[in-house]
Amino acid sequence: MQIIPQNIPLADPGGSYVNWSVFHISVTNVVIIAIMLVVFVLALVLPFPGHGDEDQR
Amino acid sequence: MSTPGRPAPLHPSGSWTVGLRDRLSRTVPAGQALPDRQPAYVASWIYVFGVLTLAALVVVIATGLVLSIEGAVWWHISDTGRFVNSLHLWSVEVFFAVMVVHLWGKFWMAAWRGDRALTWITGVLCFVGSIGTAFTGYLSQSNFDSQWISGQAKDGLNAVGIGAFFNVLDPAQMLLWHVVLLPLVVGVVVLWHIVLVRRHGVVPPIDAPEPPITTAIPPTPEGVLS
Repeated sequence: MQIIPQNIPLADPGGSYVNWSVFHISVTNVVIIAIMLVVFVLALVLPFPGHGDEDQR
Repeated sequence: MSTPGRPAPLHPSGSWTVGLRDRLSRTVPAGQALPDRQPAYVASWIYVFGVLTLAALVVVIATGLVLSIEGAVWWHISDTGRFVNSLHLWSVEVFFAVMVVHLWGKFWMAAWRGDRALTWITGVLCFVGSIGTAFTGYLSQSNFDSQWISGQAKDGLNAVGIGAFFNVLDPAQMLLWHVVLLPLVVGVVVLWHIVLVRRHGVVPPIDAPEPPITTAIPPTPEGVLS
């Protein structure tokens, strides 16, 4: 007997996931963490605006 | 106030107000509570993420106050309520993202150097307290999502042996933790963290010399930012 019809949102598997060993994480969270890493690297390498010339401080 | 028949003391050095005033004035070096100059090495984007975290926290608190005034029906039903509810969620997302970048930056520059261990520890406490506050926020939505999350959380907390100390299945308890107890704890620790940062100064890069605390900012424009 089918209790929950297939078109009910509760039966939705709810997104894509990355499975690697014991790690189980949604693709959305992987993308967010990757963006945070990119922001971190950019914060280290991009020059701070208005203070590029040491002599003008 | 002087006692009749007894001369008033020349200076109230024995009063608790003077003691407290002296203690407060010694907590942060003069001119460092709200400085208008910073060492040259602060001219880097990585030093921006601490104040970005604070800015996001201000939005979190402001939108949370509006949500607490209007109530659950408002944030579920009305367009404005759903907008403020989304602002509250996304400011929390930004808060955690920039706080983690701030954490990475401070970890890789070993920010506990120069007598800054307590600054690092209070930062860790802010992080942990914020996670607890966010989790209780998920339990305070008053919808099926919060019911499901609280059931999962109860299983996990029981499994690690702390399920008897508080009840995540009690929406009233979790709502009060979310809007009173944990924000108070996080707020106090954040203020403590900021005072410590101003007390000891911004940590220099590993290859930069540590400026003296009392003269952290040179009086001349050489090597400083205006």
